[in-house]
Amino acid sequence: MSASYILKRIALIFYTLFIVSLLVFGITQVLPADAAVMMLGENATTEALEALRNSMGLNDPIWMQYLRWIGGVVQGDFGTSLRTGQPVGPALFSALGTSLTLAVFSLTFMLALALPMGVVAAIRRGKATDLFVSFLSYIGVALPEFVTATLAVLFIADWWGILPPAGYVPLSQNPVEGLRHLVLPVVVVSIIMIAHVSRMVRSELVDVLHTDYIRAAHLKGLSRGRILLRHGLRNALLPAITIVALDVGYLLGGVIVVEEIFSIPGIGRALMAAIQARDLPVIQAGVLIMAATYSIVNFAADLIYAWLDKRIQYD
Amino acid sequence: MPQDQKPVLSVRDYSLGYKVGSDTLSVLKTINLTINRGEILGLVGESGSGKSSMASAIMRYLAPNAIENAGAIHLGATDLRAQTPRQLADLRGSRVSMVFQDPATALNPTLKLGEQLAEVLMRHQGLTSAQAWKAGEERLAHVGLKSPAEMMHRLPHEVSGGEKQRVVIATAFACNPELIIFDEPTTALDVITSRQILDLFAGLQAETGVASLYISHDLALVARTARRVAVLQKGEIVEEGDTVTLFRAPQHPYTRALIGAVPRPDRRLVKADPAPEAAPLVKVRGVSVNYGRKSLLDSLLRRDFTPVVGNRAVTLDIKPGEILGIVGESGSGKSTLAKAMTGLNRFDGLIEFDGKPVRGLSDMGRDYRRDVQIVFQHPDASLNPRQRISEILARPIRLYGGRDGLPRRRQIEEMLERVRLPATYIDRFPHQLSGGEKQRIAIARAFLSNPRLVICDEITSALDVSVQASVIELLMELHQQTGAAYIFITHDINLIRQIAHRIAVMYRGDLIEVVATEAIAAPDRAPYTRELLAAVTPPASLTLTA
Repeated sequence: MSASYILKRIALIFYTLFIVSLLVFGITQVLPADAAVMMLGENATTEALEALRNSMGLNDPIWMQYLRWIGGVVQGDFGTSLRTGQPVGPALFSALGTSLTLAVFSLTFMLALALPMGVVAAIRRGKATDLFVSFLSYIGVALPEFVTATLAVLFIADWWGILPPAGYVPLSQNPVEGLRHLVLPVVVVSIIMIAHVSRMVRSELVDVLHTDYIRAAHLKGLSRGRILLRHGLRNALLPAITIVALDVGYLLGGVIVVEEIFSIPGIGRALMAAIQARDLPVIQAGVLIMAATYSIVNFAADLIYAWLDKRIQYD
Repeated sequence: MPQDQKPVLSVRDYSLGYKVGSDTLSVLKTINLTINRGEILGLVGESGSGKSSMASAIMRYLAPNAIENAGAIHLGATDLRAQTPRQLADLRGSRVSMVFQDPATALNPTLKLGEQLAEVLMRHQGLTSAQAWKAGEERLAHVGLKSPAEMMHRLPHEVSGGEKQRVVIATAFACNPELIIFDEPTTALDVITSRQILDLFAGLQAETGVASLYISHDLALVARTARRVAVLQKGEIVEEGDTVTLFRAPQHPYTRALIGAVPRPDRRLVKADPAPEAAPLVKVRGVSVNYGRKSLLDSLLRRDFTPVVGNRAVTLDIKPGEILGIVGESGSGKSTLAKAMTGLNRFDGLIEFDGKPVRGLSDMGRDYRRDVQIVFQHPDASLNPRQRISEILARPIRLYGGRDGLPRRRQIEEMLERVRLPATYIDRFPHQLSGGEKQRIAIARAFLSNPRLVICDEITSALDVSVQASVIELLMELHQQTGAAYIFITHDINLIRQIAHRIAVMYRGDLIEVVATEAIAAPDRAPYTRELLAAVTPPASLTLTA
């Protein structure tokens, strides 16, 4: 992998974000929302509204409004929330931090379960264990997270009272309570991804275990553990990385739903609130930040892929 | 060798089958084999004869549906069939090891070569990682690899096929085993590389005295390599004996047929030059093919772009009715030229067909496409698996008219007869046919348009030697009937010397020379041609009977 490839990919991320910014800006322009009305209320006089529009530059040509907005974004200024009057940036980034905490825990939990499940299913292919894992995956795929979330809250939080049903405590404030609040959201958001990834690992590993080099490894007298881990899993995990990176896209969507259900003050919840309040600057910034997160994660996945499989020559 | 010494490998009355549904498919029938220390036993057979199953049985690496009889397999005094999986793992790689057909798939693509060698030493000789790495370097130097320390750190895709196979061989010899099974170790390699690997094998074998089971479909190769040969037909050893005796006086009809099917350069299958003074049918003038394209980023950064060369300014003529052989190693540009001539590759330069200039795909009109046909190496890939033979063969008739007044189906049946296939095949699917039969369908498809030039791109290299002989016979018949010119691309030099009028030698995209077949062995040939010829194993019938 060459330095020029990495630079090219970074340039591509910025290009993607540019397109996203155009789309987001375009869509928010056609939304039936008038920032001036939002700020002054329904009963404001026409003169007052017009004066505010002029002062906010809402009567300028659209391209000028876009340039003003994107110019601010480049300098780290995402504008001011119409609802709260606060700058958008700091509030959203703090919410992003909360969401990332949820996402990182979910990914870790998912991998910790999905990898062993996939490996065991592959080794015991066609046996009861394999069928059981497949069965679980099908259930996992079939249940949308708002169903699992409701069930989890109902049984574990309401009836049995083991875990708090909703809310969020920053880990830095109180680690124990913070973790207790994370358990249900993390499990709910992970279930579908566990189903995806364990099936992927299983089928890839089944293929790899049938290759000539695995046969060669057996005929060299190597131990089963070494054959499985060193020769098999390494090659089987490569495609799984791509799936995990794609699942991050799902994660971003799933997080919005889960944050809403469990009242977690993350970026998804902030975005929902902004959409309901037609808070255009927050919507624009929120979507842009999510797009950036997704691009960066996919880039990271490509880097890891190339690092694991030296045959891949990006140029 | 003293009589009382126990053979290294002895197989007694061993039979093997595979359970398929409720039936048992018999693969090996009452096999008896022994190999003594220092001995090489060649096991020869065509595909499906069970030779690879024999290797799996000895290595005790059988599919779960394998069914064995009570026969015995002993390695020295050890009863291999009585070993637990753990004991077998201790044996494999240390007392018995294996060299595989294709080093490209036998090596793990994501592990360093050094690790794949060192792990055997660590497993069986209890070396530490550092010791094993050090010992590995010595082993690599021993199999003739230059800069072994550097080689240890390479990944399989960073070295050549021959180098990969050397690493596999070093691994097999690493723990000084008593027996090594060589399963077609040179089949996936080029002629010259094969020769080098064989020389390496002979050297190591003589030095270590390891007992070897050498499995191959190539009679000529086995004749040069093994002292004793067993011929396997449909799971049975039909003949076994000393190599020289077996080749000089084969007893079993199957052995005789096999030996007879091996191409012999001295037995010409084609009449002399058809039209020495005729104007060329095809003139290839300075045809170059480059792979890869300059990327947008390259142009933006004004970077130099070096394309991969497929062909470099190839110039040659083909006369009407001539058979021109093209030989060379893989990657020499043989197929690239064929693809350029059929419009599958872009090219620079000029192809003149029957006086009409062709500079690219757009010049290849309907007439050109009818007149120039190609048959590919793998019929499995070139015949649509979801079409019946009738559909496959109807296409050239539909495209190029065929003969008037005769129903299409009748024309197809006639063509099937001409390629010696029963007319009843017309409603079958390709997968219901054998490899040789499929290739006959591909040939029929090419000849249905009455072409004037047929390009045969390695069309027999995926076939067994006896099937190859019959396909070649068919091609020669069609040549006589139709008078079409052939471009016959192959790496089998013995074969091409049988059938070609002239031979073109290619090397890394360059046309080295075009010579009359009789003159290919002359001493004034280009150095590369001589090297190539020297690497070819002459048919056993020539070396041993003389």
